Order: sequence, then C-alpha cells, then structure tokens
Amino acid sequence: MTMNHKIFLTFLFLLPFSVLTTAAQDDKIITNAKMIGIGNTNILDTYLSPEKYNGTEFRYISHTLREKRNSHLYREIIQQGNISYANNRSENGGEMAGTYNFQYGWHWQFISDEKFTVGVGGNIDANLGFIYNTRNSNNPAQARAYLNITPVIEAAYRFHIKNGLHTLRYEISAPILGVMFSPNYGQSYYEIFSKGNYDHNVVPTWVGNAPSLRQMLTFDFSLWKTTFRIGYLGDYQQAKVNNLKNHIYTNAIVFGVVKKFSLIKLRP
Amino acid sequence: MKKYLFLLLPFFFLFTGCIDEKEYENTQNGNFEALWKIIDEHYCFFDYKAKVYGLDWDEVHERYAKMVNPSMSELQLFEVLGNMLAELKDGHVNIYAGFDVARNWSWHENYPSNFSDTLLTKYLGTDYHIASGLYYRVLDDNVGYIRCATFSNDFGSGNLDYVISYLAQCNGLIIDIRNNSGGLISSAEKLAARFTNENILVGYLQHKTGKGHSDFSSMEEQWLKPAKGIRWQKPVIVLTNRQVFSAANEFVKYMKCCPQVTVVGDKTGGGAGMPFSSELPNGWSIRFSACPMYDKNKESTEFGIDPNYKVNLSDIDFLKGKDTIIEYARKLINK
Repeated sequence: MTMNHKIFLTFLFLLPFSVLTTAAQDDKIITNAKMIGIGNTNILDTYLSPEKYNGTEFRYISHTLREKRNSHLYREIIQQGNISYANNRSENGGEMAGTYNFQYGWHWQFISDEKFTVGVGGNIDANLGFIYNTRNSNNPAQARAYLNITPVIEAAYRFHIKNGLHTLRYEISAPILGVMFSPNYGQSYYEIFSKGNYDHNVVPTWVGNAPSLRQMLTFDFSLWKTTFRIGYLGDYQQAKVNNLKNHIYTNAIVFGVVKKFSLIKLRP
Repeated sequence: MKKYLFLLLPFFFLFTGCIDEKEYENTQNGNFEALWKIIDEHYCFFDYKAKVYGLDWDEVHERYAKMVNPSMSELQLFEVLGNMLAELKDGHVNIYAGFDVARNWSWHENYPSNFSDTLLTKYLGTDYHIASGLYYRVLDDNVGYIRCATFSNDFGSGNLDYVISYLAQCNGLIIDIRNNSGGLISSAEKLAARFTNENILVGYLQHKTGKGHSDFSSMEEQWLKPAKGIRWQKPVIVLTNRQVFSAANEFVKYMKCCPQVTVVGDKTGGGAGMPFSSELPNGWSIRFSACPMYDKNKESTEFGIDPNYKVNLSDIDFLKGKDTIIEYARKLINK
C-alpha cells in the first residue's frame, strides 16, 4: 500500500465523522415520556347534578419534546386520555367521565445551562370528552369539547447523585382563550341534535369563565439502563358558561419511561 | 426582572378561584332547601301556573319550611317534600326514593278512566298482529284499529310500513292511545309523520337560559315532516283519555295539525314539559319539567288538549260489551 493509498483510506474513514460533525449542527433530539397515572378525581357538572362526585381516575400520557441542537426553539406534543368513575356522596349514583387531550405547541428556552433550563411557550390545547350520569333520564350525559390557547412554562433541573444523572422537572399551563361546546342552561340534547335548535352552544372562554390549570412535577432517574419518570399531576379543568358550572379536579401519581432519541441527517 | 413577569400568568388561576356549587348538608333541612332550590332554578312552568292557578313558589317555601325539622323521620320528610312538589300539579315532577315514588297524578286520578281492558279485549280478540309494540287488526266493519299503549318503543320505518300496508284497504283508521303515558317524542313524531304529505307547523319549543322563572329562549318552531315510507291518506280517528300524557300528549298535538284527523274521547292529561333529572344530598332522585312545549297557536298544552268530540264510556254500553268511544269513532268513519 502506497502512501497515497493510506491517505485516501484515512480520508474515507474520517469522512463520515466529518459529515456527522456537520450534521450535528441541526440534530433533532426527541425526548418522549410515556406515563400512566392513577389518582383521585372530583367531578361537578350542574347540567347533570348539583352534587359533586368523587372517584378514581386512570390516565395515559405521552409527553414529547422535539428539540434541535443549538436552537432555543422547540416543540411540545402531549397526548393524554383519562377515564374515571365517581360516586355521589350518598353512594347510590355514579358518573363516568373520559377525556382525550391533544396539545401541540412551540416553546422558547430562555434560560439554558447544563443544570437548569426554563422554557415558555404556547400550546394549541384540544379536548374531547364526556360525563355520563348513570341515573338521569332525559339529561344523562354531557359532551365536553373545548379548544384553548394555553401558555406553558416549564423548568428542568439536572443534578447528579453518585454517578447517575437525575432531572427534576416542573411544567404548568393555564389556558387564556378558547371556545367550548355547551348546551344552554336548560336545553336538551334532543333540541340541539334532533331539532337543530342552536342557542349559544359554542361559547368563548377565557381565564375569567374557564380558569383551568394543569401542572406536573416529575423526577427522572436511571435504573437498569432505563430512565424512569415518577411524579405528581394536577389537572384542574373548570368552566362557568351558559349559567352551567362544571369542574373536574384530578390529583394523580404518574409513572413511566423516558426515551431520548437523536435523529442525525447523514448526507452522502 | 420585569421581562419575566409573564411567568406569573398561570398563577392568575389562583386568583380567579374555583368554580364550585354550594352543596347542602345531608340533613332534613338541607334536603328540603336543596329540593326547593333545584325546582326554583330549573322548573319551567312557574309563570304559566301563576297565571292559571296562582302558584307562588316563594310562598310554598315559607309554608313547607315550617313543617321540616331535624328530628323528623325519612318517611316524614319524604311526605313533606312530596306534598310540596304536588303544589306544581305536574305529572312530570317526582321524587324517587328506594321505598316510594312521590307523584301528583291528579291529572288522571280525578277523572273517569274512559278505558276498559275488558272491552279492549273484545275488540282486539286474540288474533291481532303486533309490530314494535303496536297491536293492530281490521274490525268487522272494515275499519283499521291500532292500539298504541306506549311510545317507549322506537318504531322502525319497516314496522310502520307493514302496519299501514296491512290496513290499507280499510275505510278509515282508529289509533287508540288511551292510557298511553308517553315515552320517546321521536316515536310520536315517527308515527304522526305517516299522516301528512307536507311539512306542517305543529308547535313550538323553548328552554330555560338562566335561573330566573322567566329566563327562556325564543320559541323555536316544531315542524312535522312527512315520512318517506307509506303514508295514510284516509280518515283517522285518535282516541284519547286523561291518561294520555307527555309524548302521547305531543302525538295528539301533532295529529290535530294533520289533515283528515279527528280526536275523540276525553281531554288528554297534558305533560308539556320535557323532564330533566337531578338529585338531593341524601341520594333521592328528582324529576321535573324543564323544557316547555306549545301548540301551533303558542298555547301551552301542559294541562291537556281538548278532543274534537268529547265522548265518555257509558255504563250501559259497558254492560253490552261495547266501548262507547270506539263505537263513536267507527260511526264517524262509516258516516
């Protein structure tokens, strides 16, 4: 092998690394946490009953952050579904509730160092769900559909215990503007859907008539080469529209697995 | 530092507070107050009944509150609450407890029944047909007869096609809804839709928009659209009595707007408020009229609809095994 051949082979060997180094300029880093939660829920919907119902909620959460290396801008995608069953205080009536929530938003990391990051942003926050009262006749269920613009603040603190890297993360969000479906005060679903008589059934919401909040405090730790996440979720959804009051307050423990991917573009 | 003030925005939630509803204590007085308030804020006939017979719900509270005390038994409380609701004179208003149902059925109990199972059996015989809860046959003077005892069944269009086809050769049709205390309004509409060939205005609907006794939406028109299946084109007689209530009352309201329809029998029982449910702190269920319905002249049908021909069962006919109301209808058809 001549000297030229050696230089050529060395160049071929190093080429991918040079590409990787270049590509690393816009690497995508995806952090996804899949969690399940269980907790206590408190349901009020005065269309169905003036009584509050207490019970248990089960929840699945997929929480994704899509970042680019060397960029402060990143995206957050949250999908979560919950189902709950609750009883009235006399324990002779039940309500089932379920909600699917999808959030998509752009965030800006304005404090960023190795240990501490803080980001803010806004999410499009779509919700679809129901509450079913097991004992009502002509008003047995309430549909829940609302769309919000929701500011989000999140902070993460990374630290080492022994040789392990741990992350303490807190995220809080509260919708500021939105629209919500609601029957009018004494309007039946028969009138809305069978007769097509609409009456303020899509209602604008804001912090004043729908002061809601979600927060989640989690702790990430590594075990058996896997990153686990454990934490607390507080979800307080409430509204007062068309003279009807509703709230679903949930306090839950969440547990799941965190996976971090890095997508690297390899240019030929 | 000022540029980070927006971080406090979510905490505005803490200042806007919780959206909550006052829960009354599960005591005798708490349950009384909870019931009075549920009806006060949701019942739909206060103004109408104030005009008709002077109902004053505040006065009712004053009168009945004196009868409630912490030492009274559950049965005594049930009786007082039931009597308080009876002031509304509404068959759609009830309390459901594990041991009883509080009701005011004076809308039919204070009147002659104008219906006899014994006589009905003589007309129906044993070889009648049944489709989706409708009993039907051809009477011996070639008059079609349908016995519709309830609107709880969801009639299929195929069911109604079969019934009307079978009776098509008859000179006329009797639809006997006596003792039909309601069910699904949609079923009442489906059956009535077989008796019109064009869209007809049959009444109006309203709903409450707030807690005030007079907080109502505008009146929305109710239109009866002709069925797509087979429609009846000959004379129809609808038989009624005081037990025709709720969705059956609506059926009579629709039918009175259809051509070739005559109503024979007694005034209907009414029940023109679509009922909603609620509950008390002790778990008793409540039912009350929530959405008022009106006829095509915007008059309430809460206290019933008059027939075109008022006919009562006569004792003499009964002894002869004849149903006076059915016989009257047959004469009208064969006239």
